[in-house]
Amino acid sequence: MMQITTTATHSMPAVKRKWSRYRHPESTIRFAVILAILAFLGYSIAYLNIDLSRILGAFPRLVEILATRYFPPDLNYVSDADFLRSVLRTLEMSLLGGFFGVVCSIPLAWLAARNITVSKRIAYPFGRFAIMSSRSIHETIWTILFVTVLGFGMLAGTLALTVFCVGFAGKLFSDELEAIDMGPVEAMRSVGANPLQVFQYAVLPQVRVAFTGIAIYTWDVAFRAATVVGFFGGGGMGWYLKRTTQQMESTRVAAILLLIIGLVLLAELGSGWLRKRIGKMR
Amino acid sequence: MSITAAPVSAHGFDAYLAHKRRRRINNWLLVACSVALLAWCFWDTIMFDTDWQRMGGALGIGGTLERFLLIDWSLLPKLLVPALETLMMATLGTILGCVFSLPVAWFGAANVTPSKYFFYPLGRFLMVLSRSIHEIIWALLFVGAVGLGALPGILAVAMRSVGFISKITAEAIENIDPKPVEAIRAVGGNQFQVMYYGIVPQILPVIIGTIIFEWDINIRRSAIMGLVGAGGLGLVFFRQMAMFNYGGVTLVVLAVLVLIAIGEVISHYARKAVI
Repeated sequence: MMQITTTATHSMPAVKRKWSRYRHPESTIRFAVILAILAFLGYSIAYLNIDLSRILGAFPRLVEILATRYFPPDLNYVSDADFLRSVLRTLEMSLLGGFFGVVCSIPLAWLAARNITVSKRIAYPFGRFAIMSSRSIHETIWTILFVTVLGFGMLAGTLALTVFCVGFAGKLFSDELEAIDMGPVEAMRSVGANPLQVFQYAVLPQVRVAFTGIAIYTWDVAFRAATVVGFFGGGGMGWYLKRTTQQMESTRVAAILLLIIGLVLLAELGSGWLRKRIGKMR
Repeated sequence: MSITAAPVSAHGFDAYLAHKRRRRINNWLLVACSVALLAWCFWDTIMFDTDWQRMGGALGIGGTLERFLLIDWSLLPKLLVPALETLMMATLGTILGCVFSLPVAWFGAANVTPSKYFFYPLGRFLMVLSRSIHEIIWALLFVGAVGLGALPGILAVAMRSVGFISKITAEAIENIDPKPVEAIRAVGGNQFQVMYYGIVPQILPVIIGTIIFEWDINIRRSAIMGLVGAGGLGLVFFRQMAMFNYGGVTLVVLAVLVLIAIGEVISHYARKAVI
């Protein structure tokens, strides 16, 4: 780069050039990329037949619908004993799914961390693939698959949440593992420790606090997902949501949605408080 | 845990031992409570709620799994267009989400918010609201508002991504270096010039990285929008499921995996090019 610029100044001396941040090949590539993205956007708007005015019109319409059809939320429906039991079950599913997910994802994250994996040829791609595939498929698809195989109920929902948590926590765990200090690991290896001992004595003490925080965050996210797992037959309060939406009982839907928002906010506040406390213990 | 952390007093060592014992008892109580809670959850969800008879034992499950594993490859050519639709939905949703999150991030960043007592809490509340409602629920609401089609899916994806994008953006705005802003103010720049020349160049790499990350997530979100009435791969999944064509279902799931792998590769290189 330096050479090119110096030769350029030698060969054409008195050309006053306008300064720009990017030089020729880069600027052209940037322009082409932006143009390609814009073309793709325009083509997709045309292909999906989207009326741009309806996008802005959607919000007044949403407010209008919420005000006229959903407005007085039927709070009696959500204070019913059966419904409250389903809320409790949602909580149970999220706890179990989060727990199993975290338990399964720790060994997978160990395999999928490039610096401390057991073998780079076999275990590393395996761990990566397991985490990536459980992350890529959305939790509702997992729910539907498990419901098909195992039947309706909380078992399917719990397993779907487990897979979801494996994907979610596994990625965070392996990122955390890849950022550790390698000194203790090398020390343990050089005195002849096997991979399990290295993991237990050199890796775990470094990441214990971070893992606890991630585990709590995973539960928070799992609870958010657990509220709709029942929509596809996985048990919990989502089933009530499905029933009321399909029967067009909008006031009840409104009450359920309000309850979900409230519970998710509570879960988020609780997990934030716990994580802050754990972060202080570091 | 170390000795230096022990309380120092006249009976230093005894106090340390007592402190340690209390701590151990607390830890044991915590573990016992969690184990009891989990055991109860386990009993209630898995033992009590599951209909083991209906599941039909290992043979029944194996039979169902076998039907999933016989992949129906004849569906493959019909998946290309829905996959493209899913990709388009994700991209448009992400762009729309960025547009929506501009005001939210502006309101929710403590140092540039127009009013600390009204707009700042509003911005924060909108961020939490967007993240706390699941995309399925957003999609249901928008299907009610604008009818079936790709639009409710795009809007749902956009609303769901507002929370993350605007939260990261607001944090980036809060952490900027104030000197360029002051310099532009000092030479007489107005509010817009301060924004455009002082703030935007500082936060742009972070925001573009976040947007690319969110686009990656939005692909998997828009792959399920078909379940509630928007098009794309989700609709094909739903139809195959309704026809009990489990081989086709597996193929759709594989298609989602491939699509997301492609998205991950693109986002990896895009993020490298930006940062």
